[in-house]
Amino acid sequence: MPTFKKILFNLFAWSIVLAVAFPLFWMLVTSVKPGFELFRRPPTILPETWTFEHYWKLLSETNFLIYFRNSIILSTATTLVVVAVATLGAFSLVRFKYRGRESLAFLVLFTYLLPSVVLIIPLYLLLVGLGVSNTIFSLVIAYTTFALPYALWLLRSFMAGIPEDLESAALCDGATRMGAFRDVILPQLLPGIISTALFTFILSWNEYLYALVLVNSDASRPLTTGVMNMLISSFNIEWSLLMAASVMMSVPLIIVFAFLQSYLTRGFGAGGVKG
Amino acid sequence: MSTQQTLLEKRYAVLGMALIAPTVLIFCAVIVYPLISAIYLSFYSVFTPTLEGEWVGLGNYTELLQSGKFWNALGNTLIWTVGTLSLQIILGIGIALVLHQNIWFRSLARSLILFPYFISTVVAVLVWKWLFNDLYGILNHFLIKIGVIDFPMDFLGTMPNAMISIILVGAWKYFPFVVIAVLARLQSIPDSLYEAAKIDGAGPIGRFFDVTLPQLRDVLVVIIMLRAIWDFKEFDMIYLLTGGGPLDDTQTLPLLVYQEAFALNDMGMASAYAVVMMLIMLVFMLVYIRRTKNDEGV
Repeated sequence: MPTFKKILFNLFAWSIVLAVAFPLFWMLVTSVKPGFELFRRPPTILPETWTFEHYWKLLSETNFLIYFRNSIILSTATTLVVVAVATLGAFSLVRFKYRGRESLAFLVLFTYLLPSVVLIIPLYLLLVGLGVSNTIFSLVIAYTTFALPYALWLLRSFMAGIPEDLESAALCDGATRMGAFRDVILPQLLPGIISTALFTFILSWNEYLYALVLVNSDASRPLTTGVMNMLISSFNIEWSLLMAASVMMSVPLIIVFAFLQSYLTRGFGAGGVKG
Repeated sequence: MSTQQTLLEKRYAVLGMALIAPTVLIFCAVIVYPLISAIYLSFYSVFTPTLEGEWVGLGNYTELLQSGKFWNALGNTLIWTVGTLSLQIILGIGIALVLHQNIWFRSLARSLILFPYFISTVVAVLVWKWLFNDLYGILNHFLIKIGVIDFPMDFLGTMPNAMISIILVGAWKYFPFVVIAVLARLQSIPDSLYEAAKIDGAGPIGRFFDVTLPQLRDVLVVIIMLRAIWDFKEFDMIYLLTGGGPLDDTQTLPLLVYQEAFALNDMGMASAYAVVMMLIMLVFMLVYIRRTKNDEGV
């Protein structure tokens, strides 16, 4: 009975998938349930009445939009700086020979594994000393500590995958190294750059610890600490509101995720995992 | 000719160094300098609000080794790391094997499985806090309905529930990483190996242990080390789910560093905790780095 077996296996596989995805489904459902339905026992699986009042409330009565804007600025700025620096750095690490290159590559990998809590105290002191604490700018600086090693490591493996002959051919035709870099390597590297940028964006979008320590004003708080603050500061916890915030916070990730599908296996895990 | 070539090589070396210069500068400013000052700070006693301090030498370290706090946190960190990592590996391999088969809407299934890994820890924590809610949480309701428990359970406020809960949430959040890595490796195992095993009379389970597992070995070693490092330093999830409680039964080393620096206001002591934590991790980090080096011929 191969078809029967097949159906059974499919049901088994999909019940696992749905069980794993259930918390996300529940988040979505809770966010559109009206308040009175939320506190009903037994809970309704699908909402009887749909409402978007929580989303409206989130946008009009809370600081959510400010946090959202901060997160966008923060993640975009971090990504741009980090990817620009890391692309040049990876080019240098892979294609040039000079003293100290090996130890640099070692340092990159080491810092990629470094825990943030080790750096957080001196970084806090440094940024307070510079007088930039409590700003989005200070977070961009702090985020480079994990984003730059990550991007470098990822781009390095993408760069290593580009055949060296292409560059040599361009050099023979009289191109300069930077000319060959611009005309030959960059176009080849573009998919790698895009997926590195997307992964870096996700990392920065989700970061929590640095934001918690370095910023404590609503004007420059990103989403992660901002939304958590809404939970702590509200007297009676409005779960629908928090679930709506969670959904909204995940929307950019879903968009990035859709882009990433094709690059996913290639870039996953900072090149740290290779078959 | 030869002098010209070395001249060119020299110019290339200079260009190479110029290209890496921004990276090196940023590294020195935000990683190397803080790292060294963390070690330096650990020999001081620094009061956080005023940032005034005095040299205490190894004082912080002797206090740390003698205090129960450190050993308690180290124990918790190990329980959490081993617990959540084993679950991640088992779940990860199992689900990768399932998703490797030709199931209906396979790419949709894969995206759904991956999603917990991509959402922010803050979102994951909020959702799980709502699922765990003692009055209106669906988990309690479900467990009562199927008769596992009679009264709503306190998932995060009592022991050992709190530890089990964070281990489970950690496994749920991070196992997709294992799935992707294993799935990528599974796709590159040649079919001929399975056919040979079939001819030798191996059943599905035999084929898993004789063919699949040995082929996965290398990638599994790398995943386990990488995830062990990441789980060991996990801060966000545990801090947000339990805050280290009840009492300090889920207090791990990263939480202890944070608490010491920003709640108990002793940055020197916190740095000492951080340095010791890094020394413990260093073993794993060096093994991992050596391993990756060999794989890629860096």
